[in-house]
Amino acid sequence: MPPDELLVAVALSAYALGALALLIYFFSRTKWLRDVGIPLAVLGCVAQFAQLGVRFELTHVWPLLNLYGSLSLFSAMSVAIYIGFAFRYNLWFAGGFVLGLAAIFLAYGVTWYEGTMPPVPSLQSYWAKIHVPIVVSSYAAFLVSFVFSCVYLLKYYAQRRVTKVHGEQSEPGPVARWLAALPSLPQLDVIIYRAVAIGLPLISVGIITGAMWAKEAWGAYWQWDPKETAALFSWIIYLAYMHLHTRHTWRGLRTSWVSVIGFVSIIFCYLGVNIWISGLHSYKV
Amino acid sequence: MTLAFRNLYAEFVRTFGNVLFAVSLFVVWGLLTLIGVVVEQGEDPTLYLQSYAAPIARAILRLDFDNIYHSPWYVGIVALILLSLAVCTFKRVIPARLPPLRPVSVDKMPLHAVFDVEGDADDVRRRLSELLAARGWQMRERLFGGIEWTFADKHNWARRGVLVAHAGFVIIAAGTTLYWARGFSGDVPLLTGHTAQIAQTHALIRLDDFAYKIAPIMTKSGMVYQPIDYVSHVTVTGNDGIPKHLTVRVNHPIDIDGTLYYQASYGFGMQFLVSRLGTPNATLSNRTLLEGDSFDLPGTRRTLVYERFAPTVDKQSGMPTADPRVNDPAVLLGASDGGTSLGDALVPLGASVDAGGGWRVVPKRYVLYSGFQYRYDPGVPLVGIGAFVLLAGLIISFYFLPARLYVRVDPIAPGRSRVGAAATTVKGYDVFEGEFGRLMVFLREEKA
Repeated sequence: MPPDELLVAVALSAYALGALALLIYFFSRTKWLRDVGIPLAVLGCVAQFAQLGVRFELTHVWPLLNLYGSLSLFSAMSVAIYIGFAFRYNLWFAGGFVLGLAAIFLAYGVTWYEGTMPPVPSLQSYWAKIHVPIVVSSYAAFLVSFVFSCVYLLKYYAQRRVTKVHGEQSEPGPVARWLAALPSLPQLDVIIYRAVAIGLPLISVGIITGAMWAKEAWGAYWQWDPKETAALFSWIIYLAYMHLHTRHTWRGLRTSWVSVIGFVSIIFCYLGVNIWISGLHSYKV
Repeated sequence: MTLAFRNLYAEFVRTFGNVLFAVSLFVVWGLLTLIGVVVEQGEDPTLYLQSYAAPIARAILRLDFDNIYHSPWYVGIVALILLSLAVCTFKRVIPARLPPLRPVSVDKMPLHAVFDVEGDADDVRRRLSELLAARGWQMRERLFGGIEWTFADKHNWARRGVLVAHAGFVIIAAGTTLYWARGFSGDVPLLTGHTAQIAQTHALIRLDDFAYKIAPIMTKSGMVYQPIDYVSHVTVTGNDGIPKHLTVRVNHPIDIDGTLYYQASYGFGMQFLVSRLGTPNATLSNRTLLEGDSFDLPGTRRTLVYERFAPTVDKQSGMPTADPRVNDPAVLLGASDGGTSLGDALVPLGASVDAGGGWRVVPKRYVLYSGFQYRYDPGVPLVGIGAFVLLAGLIISFYFLPARLYVRVDPIAPGRSRVGAAATTVKGYDVFEGEFGRLMVFLREEKA
């Protein structure tokens, strides 16, 4: 097995096992599972970055120019950004979801792998080394915000249901105790905000560098290509998120829903446009 | 100014200065953008009628959804957003600031801490000020009702981040407007050996040679013909009148007197031998047609269209293959009679086809052509500056949090004081909770 494929296998296995361990930790709070999940997350992430480096070294082709390569970076960056958040704010409880999504996206990327191809002329540019990593990193930050938005919504609705069913009991039940072990809703909201605050400047830089590249390659900053407009759509959603977050009454539940919708639009922009809609960005293999 | 006008103005400012109104405009903008992603843009009306149910197709065409980004709806919503942005900037962003220096009820603020430390009140106050100043806080002290308050501000300047981001948008809009007002662009397909003059600049551009490189690569799914390079060698004469030999590639445009020329496309020009009853028609036979060009057959109602060049035709099936390299080429010829289509025929190079009325047509020779796009955009520097300003504004807004600490030190016993501290920010309390907690721990430990 070539070294890059071996590293992908290592990353996939590490993510799958790490996701399993951290998912069980999420529900059971068994500490040794967290202690197993953390090194697996780090191992998978390191293996993925090593794989991208090895592939570049072996082929001398920038490894992010097709769906396989960009999905590899997407999952690696998602895990890297998550690890940064988890170390900073002690958020390992959500690792199972991030690693699970990273494993799914990496496995999906592998299905698009067709071997090494030289890049088409429009991709033969130094901008490929700037624009693609920035945009993919912004998607990764949005994945992290999406996961914490889901946790927020889970906690909000579960808490509401528990209160509805059991009332304000003096002795909390196991579900209420489990919910209480999660960060508070305002804390989760701040985490989502911080992840979006990474993703939004990155996607802004990504759109700007993409426009500069487009100017160099095609003669115009903006061609209303489906990818460009889908990215604009996602950007507008996260811009709306940031504006709504300034309103006390919208902060929390509603902005979490906006973050979820934003990530759906990101996936449409990333995969939907590349795969289903033909345009200037139809680089699959 | 009449009362009615003042009321109208106040209502306008209230509506356009409202964040929720701005977000509503974002939602409409986003939905219109999404329609543009899903609905094919700039296609022939018949395509929409074929692709969609009749009522939807009619709605697409009547509402300009087939060219949505240039529709009144789209331009209008962007204009409303810019207006809202301007009103928000002057009514909300510029006046937004930390509250005035005044005493607060420390224990009633969501972020607060109270702790006792050793030392006289004045000494503790001085040491706290030194510690906070060392961590980048700007200190001010005020006396209210005989009680000394210490106010500490951090990143107060950063409240202008939103203003900077909004200014970035306005500069970008100015740059793109400058292109609309003063810029121009166009396309010029050039056959090898031919020269064209650019109408706006009078520059001359001659295509000396065009070449493309295709690499056949065996992948897991089969053979893929990957384009590797498109290269045009041109001779360009600009304002100085001196011809220059230059090379144009994708991602490598050339600059002639501020106008950029891009490698945009390529194709195959075709010369046909057109004859009637064995006698060649010199006019028609000397023309080189580009894909899509047509010619009429004299004395008949027939028109022939050179639809497409097929570089390689499969010998067994007689159908064009995916191989874009020229091996066994053919041309797809369309014929019509008085506007009624008679169908298409794939004609190999050198083969003769009966066009009716005694006319015969032979695809004789192909000539490569290169398609250039040219563009003069005086708004580029402004757009670049605007993008930089926008990014700077976003980074200032997101990563520098304007915050204020209210600190009060009261003596509780000789040599012992009580410190009460509270905090507020321009983005609420939750976002500062962690940092406030760490700061209080630090102050307590340093003072303990």
